[in-house]
Amino acid sequence: MMASFGGALAGGSAAPRRWPAWAIYLRTMGLFCLLWYVMSWLTPNKLLLPSPIDVASAMRDRIEDGELIANATVSLTRLLISVSIASLIAIPLGLAMGTSRLFEDLLEWPVELLRPIAGIAWIPLALFMFGIGNGLPIFIMVYTAFFPLLLGTAAGVRNVDRRLIAAAKTMGVPRGTLMRHVIVPAALPSIMTSARLAVAASWTAVVAAELVGAPSGLGYAIEYYRSMLDTPSVMTFIIVIGVLGFLCDTALRSLSAALMPWALSEKKR
Amino acid sequence: MKHFLIRLATPIILVILWQLLADAFGSPRMPRPSAVVASATKLIGSGDLITALATSLGRVFFGFMLACAIAIPLGILMGSARAVERNLDPLVESFRPVAAIAILPLVILWLGTGSMAAIVIVAYAAFFPILINTIAGVKRIDHNLMRAAYTMGVPPATRMWVVLLPAALPAILVGMRIGLGMAWTAIIAAELAVGAKAGGEGGIGQMMFIFYSYSVELNGIVVCMIAVGIVALVLDRILRAALHAAVPWSRL
Repeated sequence: MMASFGGALAGGSAAPRRWPAWAIYLRTMGLFCLLWYVMSWLTPNKLLLPSPIDVASAMRDRIEDGELIANATVSLTRLLISVSIASLIAIPLGLAMGTSRLFEDLLEWPVELLRPIAGIAWIPLALFMFGIGNGLPIFIMVYTAFFPLLLGTAAGVRNVDRRLIAAAKTMGVPRGTLMRHVIVPAALPSIMTSARLAVAASWTAVVAAELVGAPSGLGYAIEYYRSMLDTPSVMTFIIVIGVLGFLCDTALRSLSAALMPWALSEKKR
Repeated sequence: MKHFLIRLATPIILVILWQLLADAFGSPRMPRPSAVVASATKLIGSGDLITALATSLGRVFFGFMLACAIAIPLGILMGSARAVERNLDPLVESFRPVAAIAILPLVILWLGTGSMAAIVIVAYAAFFPILINTIAGVKRIDHNLMRAAYTMGVPPATRMWVVLLPAALPAILVGMRIGLGMAWTAIIAAELAVGAKAGGEGGIGQMMFIFYSYSVELNGIVVCMIAVGIVALVLDRILRAALHAAVPWSRL
């Protein structure tokens, strides 16, 4: 449908589908690397734009000396811990906000007042509260992940089909069971979507937090190699951040597909 | 009425509680509402806060305009020509997960620590939401509209301005709204990180960092945080109003 429409706009014929998606990916990225190579060859100062080959060899070095794995593990562990903490607080609160008018009244304004203050803006105050170490990035990431999870859960609960709840109540289902077997499963697609948003936002925040105030992690590594003027290594870590961010999102997407095969109508992208 | 009172009461109670707890247990340095208000009056009175906000907003404005100028035409092209989309999509999907703040060290290397670097970071942060929403908006257009225009012999350029652009406008504005929010966050992060490295020049993020590292003025930091929140809220409202004005039929 969309393909034919796009083709019509492009001049009457649908794009030929000779190339599979992965081949197009390789072709585009290959061209990009070629262009990058030529540009770096034209740049007199190799410090400014190292060639893709330099970056590849820096990546090999960083894998061999263990820096890459060590820092990636640190950052991913922080992500896992903070998203877990944020979920443990935000999802129950969101369920409460979605089901009880009192909780909604209590939480709505404080949340709306705090939410516009970006997690990153907390960094200076958090530096004072936690010092440089694990506390700072985890605090920033929990804060960043909290709001999407809370609001997504509350919205999911509010959008649960009223007839499902009414039917369960009519059949005398007790409150706890109603929550566990009706409301939570029905709100799950919305919760998982907000979890994806939360993970993406916290992954951005971890880099910023580590760049400013942590002695380890991918953000710290970028800043460290920048101060060493080792641009190929800086690029290596940027690539790693992108790849890990993409993998986390893919993992969450397949998790939601496995958890709730009924919600596949949610568009892939 | 009861609900409104509860809503109003919670933030007020929380602020009073913060003041009492800080007075009772906190060290004299700990920020508290009374000191924050005093600090805010001072910072607004001296014009420092306004200058810093204006510097940051100026960077966001230019960066955001740059992002729109590239992302909207590119998104329209990618959304309407399948072949272009298929070939460029790998690049978009590869760069999208890379946070703007992660490329900051590279940008500093290329452009130094001045406004130029900040503008590029902002443009990068706002670019992807605008691009992705524009592509989606163009693809979601009612095909019959385009076919009708095509049948009636409307020339391509007019088709674009009169049919395609208005129909895709709601999605483009949604992308701009998300992009502007990300741009504002990115400028804070960029100024903070630059402030951590060098003296630099102005901006609200830098101001916060100076309060942290040189004068340990925590109340000033809280004033900056509140200012950051208010600006974020106002920017969001402006784009929401633009969305309402441009597409009154959309529910947003």
